[in-house]
Amino acid sequence: MIEVLIIAAPACALLTGAATWLARTARQADLLNSAGAVLTALLTLVLAGIAIADAAHPRHGAWWMLDAAGGVFLAVIAAVGLLSALVAPSQLASSSRGLVRAARGRAMYYAAYHAFWAALIAVPLVDNLGLAWLLVEATTGASALLVAYSGTRGALEAGWKYLVLTTFGLAIAMLGIIILYVAIAAGDGTLSTLDWQSIARAAPRLRGGPAVVAFVVIIAGLATKVGWAPVHNWLPDAHSEAPPPVSALLSAALLPTVVLVTWRLVIALGPALTPGTASALVLAFGLVSLAVAVPFLWRSMAWKRLLAYSSLEHMGVLAVGIGFATPLATAGVVVHVAGHALAKSLGFYAAGPLLRHAPRAGERAVRGLAFANPTTASAVGVSLGALAAMPPSPLFVSELLILLGGIAAHEIAVTVIAATLLALGFLGLAQALVDGLVGEPRVRRWRSGRSGLRLRRLTVICGVLMLALTAAACLLPGSGVVNHLMAGIA
Amino acid sequence: MSTLFVIAVTALALAIVVARRRTVAVVLVAVQSMALGVYALVHGFGESSAFIVGGVLLVGKGVLLPLGLFWLVRRTRERRLIAGELPPFTRGTVAAAIALAAVALTPSLGLDSRAADQGAAALVVLGVVIAVLRRSAVFQAVGFLVAENGVYLAALAAPGGLPAIVEIGVLFDLIIVVAVAAAFTTRIHDEFGTGDTTVLGSLRD
Repeated sequence: MIEVLIIAAPACALLTGAATWLARTARQADLLNSAGAVLTALLTLVLAGIAIADAAHPRHGAWWMLDAAGGVFLAVIAAVGLLSALVAPSQLASSSRGLVRAARGRAMYYAAYHAFWAALIAVPLVDNLGLAWLLVEATTGASALLVAYSGTRGALEAGWKYLVLTTFGLAIAMLGIIILYVAIAAGDGTLSTLDWQSIARAAPRLRGGPAVVAFVVIIAGLATKVGWAPVHNWLPDAHSEAPPPVSALLSAALLPTVVLVTWRLVIALGPALTPGTASALVLAFGLVSLAVAVPFLWRSMAWKRLLAYSSLEHMGVLAVGIGFATPLATAGVVVHVAGHALAKSLGFYAAGPLLRHAPRAGERAVRGLAFANPTTASAVGVSLGALAAMPPSPLFVSELLILLGGIAAHEIAVTVIAATLLALGFLGLAQALVDGLVGEPRVRRWRSGRSGLRLRRLTVICGVLMLALTAAACLLPGSGVVNHLMAGIA
Repeated sequence: MSTLFVIAVTALALAIVVARRRTVAVVLVAVQSMALGVYALVHGFGESSAFIVGGVLLVGKGVLLPLGLFWLVRRTRERRLIAGELPPFTRGTVAAAIALAAVALTPSLGLDSRAADQGAAALVVLGVVIAVLRRSAVFQAVGFLVAENGVYLAALAAPGGLPAIVEIGVLFDLIIVVAVAAAFTTRIHDEFGTGDTTVLGSLRD
């Protein structure tokens, strides 16, 4: 039954993409997109529910796995994927100069979107590093097309940069996977050699040598796809130039999904390295990402670009949490993935009406939004307040948990540096929040139509879910769920 | 894997760095892919699955992808060679120095020979070097193929070989990526009148 669901969830997304490609009218395509997205999300959420509800008993098949950590990421991918699919029809600008002919533009968008989503859903479900790599690489082609969907010069530049950097990064990661395969298989390997559990079982006898090289090369390669500094150059451009629903899926689902692959590798292969080496590498990526992001959070910046640098900051936070590898930090990582997804998605969805009514917001910082349109201002305020980790944002709790986890791991220096950078980031985003909402108005007033009603609903839904997450986060430390999450690949 | 073979495929990558014309670069990467494909066929002979996988990869990487790139070169004709690149001799010297550094710094990767360890690393690095030193979008796509050929060389030199599903999956992903790169290249050429990627420099902070 579970195996059927595991096949059905991504297959449903793929079939939806194919059906929208064959649709005769834009309205038909919109309807197929919405119906297929609801079904895909339902199937995925059922899987996530099974994984989280029965966290103590991870399930395994010949090529798949369903565990607590995967369940959390599946829930995030399902929720963000569904919301992005549902808001897409109203946010896709009709353009005559898109990446493909206008007549096929919407069909191409939906086909690529659902292919991208299908690959994302499959990543947490596969019990194999090689298959996970293939799926992550498969996201590249579809998502690059989506980034450049508008066909503007900026979008072409962003899409090309994303394609080139992540393709080379993943080629480097594949070289690392081959090195790891050779080390484990010793001339007698099969596909199951790269199963997460096989890697974990082999790790203690792999001490040093090729295992270290493999680990470093794979993490360095995957870092380009996560967008960890210093190999993050594509991230701000892709997030700012993609259509808002795609930016949401990139930031809230793709980046954390690749983080999950690195997390599983750290847990599985870490014992093959000198104690602390795996953590040190991930912590280094985390701190560098935070340090690179913070100065940009202080700058006056266009709304989507500000969100992009916030993604860099939050992927850094996740790396720091994974690097600490204590129960508190692990609880923080899980809450952070979910909280970041909600807050960031809302921010990108708000960008749709904002850019439609105030196109200059795509080039410079938005100011005085509360006077121009209270609905959009509410969405921007909730999103930015949560991303800045202002209480009662779940990101406040998650960052606190991660820092406490750092103290528990006796990584005092790293914790102090991370706390300082987070505080600086908070101040930057708080300033952007105040200026954006009640600064001297730069945009004219506009009336909210139906899109305003949708945004208001989204703001309420995301706000309520974030408050629920904050409450759940307070109960998480010390619970058995965290131990199952820490097992990661059990 | 013999040292001579590894040197030959690495030399082809260096030749791509110095090649002036895009068609020459496509021919060189096609020859490199075919050489690796033929090696896979010869060594997979007698083992049906390895032979079939080798054949599929030979056709995919040695024939289909280069044909696609030839179509791309014809579709995006440049009126003149892209100006402002480093002279060929300088490019070759820089690339050779970086490749030699990669060879010298590569630790044991556990492949079937030391030459294979070093050749795989050198090809991946040279793929990146081609993308950095060459400004044409077609050259950057050729850089993907060179880097992927480095990964393929490592797979061929892995004792016992890689699982067929991974090898075929990598080829499938590569075809998708090159197809998307081709779509971008034609659109960039239509928009800017050139495939010179330095025109893509407007997004800065």
